[in-house]
Amino acid sequence: MTLLPWKHTDRESGSQTSAFEELALPLIPSLYNVAFWLSRSPADAEDLVQETFLKALRGFSTFEAGTNFKAWIFRILRNTYLTSRTGLAARRTVALEDELNENGDSGPAPYPEGAIDRQTPEMNLIQMGDRAALQSAMEKLPAPLLEVILMCDVEEMKYKEIAIVLDIPIGTVMSRIARARVNIRRALKGAYGPSREVSL
Amino acid sequence: MTEHLSAPILNALADAELSADQLVTTNQHLSQCALCTSNALHHSLLKSATGKAGQRYATPPNLQARLARRIREDLSLQEASRLDNARRPMRGLPLFGWATAMALLLVFVGIVLIQHNWSRSATASAQSVALATEVCDQHIATLAANAPPEVISSDRHTVKPWFQGKLPFSFNLPDNLPGGTTLDGANLTYIHGRPTAQLLYHIGNHRVSVYLQQRTDDQISNTLSTDHSGFHVFSFKTGDLDGIAVSDVDPARLSDLVSIIAHAQK
Repeated sequence: MTLLPWKHTDRESGSQTSAFEELALPLIPSLYNVAFWLSRSPADAEDLVQETFLKALRGFSTFEAGTNFKAWIFRILRNTYLTSRTGLAARRTVALEDELNENGDSGPAPYPEGAIDRQTPEMNLIQMGDRAALQSAMEKLPAPLLEVILMCDVEEMKYKEIAIVLDIPIGTVMSRIARARVNIRRALKGAYGPSREVSL
Repeated sequence: MTEHLSAPILNALADAELSADQLVTTNQHLSQCALCTSNALHHSLLKSATGKAGQRYATPPNLQARLARRIREDLSLQEASRLDNARRPMRGLPLFGWATAMALLLVFVGIVLIQHNWSRSATASAQSVALATEVCDQHIATLAANAPPEVISSDRHTVKPWFQGKLPFSFNLPDNLPGGTTLDGANLTYIHGRPTAQLLYHIGNHRVSVYLQQRTDDQISNTLSTDHSGFHVFSFKTGDLDGIAVSDVDPARLSDLVSIIAHAQK
């Protein structure tokens, strides 16, 4: 499947409507979920999704049929978020931290190799399916790491698709995913309690 | 046993992003390394759990209906706008386009005219300089040769008839010359390859050459009044003739002679 470019194709207005609805409406739950995670507000999430839909509809003539519509519309959502009030605030907050930790494509190893014991506390939490602890850990992620983990783990996008949505190199996608998971593990470790913490 | 699997490899394994070669190597390692197998399982579980925990916010029940309605409204507006534009092909942007095209055309024509005028002006200037040079050269040659004119006479009734059959035009010579001015005679000469009457005068001790030539389309349009190699050069126009006078005499006296000759042609 071709991801880029999204070329212009002429369509009749009626068929354009149905084609857009057919592609876009099933993605509303995913778009709303990611929008809510990013904006942390139901009202802002609805606004983001609505604006994304309208932008996508108006630019649908530039989308090439048969290419990756999901990546295309998520890119619009993400760009809309970045220019929104909450997105701008998030960027101001995490930009410096993100820049300082962005060391090349793969980045340093997030933890010593082979140091994870199969009975670590976070392992137990995961196995117990403690969604609340995981969601709390995800809430603590800075926006660049949260969006990459949402794309990868929740939306199950490939690295290549994520790179297109976020407009970053694949190596940066990989390093952000690794850092996001390290952060989640640390947060889970903290949630389980320092007294029972296992050295990582 | 090789080194333990790196974090990027474990992440890529959990995300199903390893290439076929990497997957073979990784599986070989996992079959021999319990620790890495445990880590790989952990990564896989974490990804799965994160995926489930991330699906946190359910879509509001009416959002989909509202979005679908909004899409149709927006498309209706777009369609109406498109039809409206189709009905008015010469309004709005097209009209602006015509106006722009006209403005550009006018600017283009203006530039061409300015260039043309500049070119004509430059050409005329070059022709004037060339003409002044040529008549000065001829006047100097006449002085240097110290030869008598082809027709020697101070009588205008002798000089003028001498040119009959020699020139494709005729001219008049003035009855009365300014004080101190005498007619010495004339020569048949050529300027720019065209037959020309060279009238020779004396103003005091200064010799004067007045050249008369039939006007042509490529003749210099403006009168010439300049100094060239120490000689004063005056041009004048009369009816179908162009004249040019050369001398080192006082410019005012030369101008007087030129005026009288020019007046005689009327």
